[in-house]
Amino acid sequence: MRFFVLALVSFLALANNVFAKSSTGDSVLVVIDPSLKKEDYSKFFGGLEERGYQLTFRGPRDAHPPVEQYGIPGFSHVILFTPETKSYASDITPQSLVGLLSENTNLLVTLSTKQTPLSSLSTEFSLIPPPPGTPLISHHPARSEPATVIPIPVSESPLLTPGTSPVWFSGVPHAFGNSPYLVPILRATSESFAADSLDDSGADALVDASEKAGEGLWAGSHLGLVTGFQTLKNSRVVFAGGVEMFSDEYANKALPDGTPSGNEKFVKDITAWAFRETLALRIDNTTHHRAGEEVPPETYTTNDQIVYTAHISAYDPKTSSWKPYSGITDMQLEFTMLDPHIRIALPPVAGEPGKYQVQFRAPDRHGVFKFVVDWRRKGYPLLQTSTTVPVVPPRHDQYPRFLSAAWPYYAGAISTSVGFFLFSALWLAGDVEGKKKKGLKTE
Amino acid sequence: MVPRIALHFTWLLLAVCVHAGSLLLQNPRFTITSSTAAQLRADTLSLTEKPEPLKLEPSDTLKLTFQITEKSEGKGVQPHQTFLRFYDSVSGEEGIQPVRVTPGGKAKFELNMARPPASLPPTTDHPLEVSLILGSFVHEPTTFDLFDLYVPSSYTPVPHPDEAKFHKLPLIHHTFRPEQKLPPKFVSAIFAALVLSPWLVLLGLWSKIGVRVPHLFSPRIIPFTVLLGAFEALLCWYWVDLKLGQVLLYGGILAIPTIFAGKTALAATGEWRTGKN
Repeated sequence: MRFFVLALVSFLALANNVFAKSSTGDSVLVVIDPSLKKEDYSKFFGGLEERGYQLTFRGPRDAHPPVEQYGIPGFSHVILFTPETKSYASDITPQSLVGLLSENTNLLVTLSTKQTPLSSLSTEFSLIPPPPGTPLISHHPARSEPATVIPIPVSESPLLTPGTSPVWFSGVPHAFGNSPYLVPILRATSESFAADSLDDSGADALVDASEKAGEGLWAGSHLGLVTGFQTLKNSRVVFAGGVEMFSDEYANKALPDGTPSGNEKFVKDITAWAFRETLALRIDNTTHHRAGEEVPPETYTTNDQIVYTAHISAYDPKTSSWKPYSGITDMQLEFTMLDPHIRIALPPVAGEPGKYQVQFRAPDRHGVFKFVVDWRRKGYPLLQTSTTVPVVPPRHDQYPRFLSAAWPYYAGAISTSVGFFLFSALWLAGDVEGKKKKGLKTE
Repeated sequence: MVPRIALHFTWLLLAVCVHAGSLLLQNPRFTITSSTAAQLRADTLSLTEKPEPLKLEPSDTLKLTFQITEKSEGKGVQPHQTFLRFYDSVSGEEGIQPVRVTPGGKAKFELNMARPPASLPPTTDHPLEVSLILGSFVHEPTTFDLFDLYVPSSYTPVPHPDEAKFHKLPLIHHTFRPEQKLPPKFVSAIFAALVLSPWLVLLGLWSKIGVRVPHLFSPRIIPFTVLLGAFEALLCWYWVDLKLGQVLLYGGILAIPTIFAGKTALAATGEWRTGKN
């Protein structure tokens, strides 16, 4: 009976992982500033719990629960609703947050006009924060809210549901460095800009600031407001320019034209991407063999026809399982020895979901080659795999034989053999006549 | 009593006017001058239709002047936000340049292509759509489309080293060694015939003198002959198919009877030579 109960308990504990909503786990630590009230964000946190996440709350100066202990992360995801906190407990530092990302933990970070350790962390991710104290302002469109509360239209993105309504935003913009691992999610409107003035007399200061800074004014749609970053370990971090975007007040606020705002759907989409529910892919396995065979040989020979197959699946959050995925159309395979000798497309096989296959001829060069697949696209995880195979030159009997140029030589050699056989047969079979005379002579 | 209420009402009216006040653009004019100060083009902008696209060479200067006034009273104002927006609709690049406005609403903007401002976006050979964005804490915001502008193309910024991996890389095809070229089969056939020609001579001479082989099918000779033939066949099989180990094995097996058959054959031959004698 006891054993049965034990077995049931362990099964349930494992089942928790099996029915995980995100592909990497369910536990979320929310570090929330004491000045912010959890109830003001009830829709956001309630939405997360509904989707199956377990939330744990703590303040930035609390030592318990720690984000990581002895190098092992305590949670699968961390949300930092601490836009204005300047000092944290000893377990949260920019280094420890980067360490969490290396250990496959995802982050959601909120920024503000104050200079905090998080804004200096964002510079490590190729984002450039504006000067402190300059929130984003826009006078367009005309509305009753103050100029710092701005409705931003949501542009098309593979992360977001198409047709999301404009979202209310209040916070700081950031500029992008040139890292291709950045995934811009929400960009500022063309008419918005970052400034610290509160009335029209600040116009001169604006022009002066733009001339002094040398990089132009912090204005326009090249500024980002919510940006994601995909790390090489495939963990994700999202930097949001303000925490009010997640609040109930903004979710309930109607847009200037009367329609409801898209905040609730938008924050749901960005947490789904950040916590690796959507756009989560992985390579299940790869195989290679000669055309016509099924098992990989020990070595390949130059000029062999080689068939390479990869199986790829995507995570389906609705069923919490990995399903085969044939949607990648531009994957490439490289056959590399120090430099790629061959680079060809690896297309999906029609009729077999998740299978990508290509056949090619091994190069003339012998050596140790690698099958390399390295697929990176904005917003998607890195799909990388590398298989090493030797390619040897042909054996002495694998060269072309019985060539027409060798006919004279075949004729000569066969003549020699036939001649020898005939001579032996005829000599043994032949008659010996001259001996009579010799015998007479000796006598 | 009544005058006081009227006073309150006028304040209210004024407040309403100020709040509902929208901004107007007066006398927008542009001038394009070359580096030698020769005027290439000058015109007034109509806000209802765009003029012909403006073109700037690498050393030209564009000067833009206008005045911003309030609709209701007509006096000049200095709004909080007076920005020129340069937008490339094909590449999506955008640049925002603030324009200095005097408290009287007069504004002047100069774009010298010899020293372009940092806010000008990266350009290609597509035109930039130039518009004016006005925003204010007390007036209604407005945007005016001004004109299209062609400027010289800019250098592309240096990309991140990993940037290329985020796109399809060019395909690489291996150039294989060309197939071995063989001489024509006809030539090979002629030379093979040349090699076989001595057989013709031999067969011809034999037919002349006649070959006498009385002991050919003698039971003491024939085993050796047959085994010798088998050795030749084994050699031929080795040439076509067998490996060295196999041919040595079969040859070794075949050698044992051949030794005995050979001894018998030689003994028989010896007997015939001495016996006949």
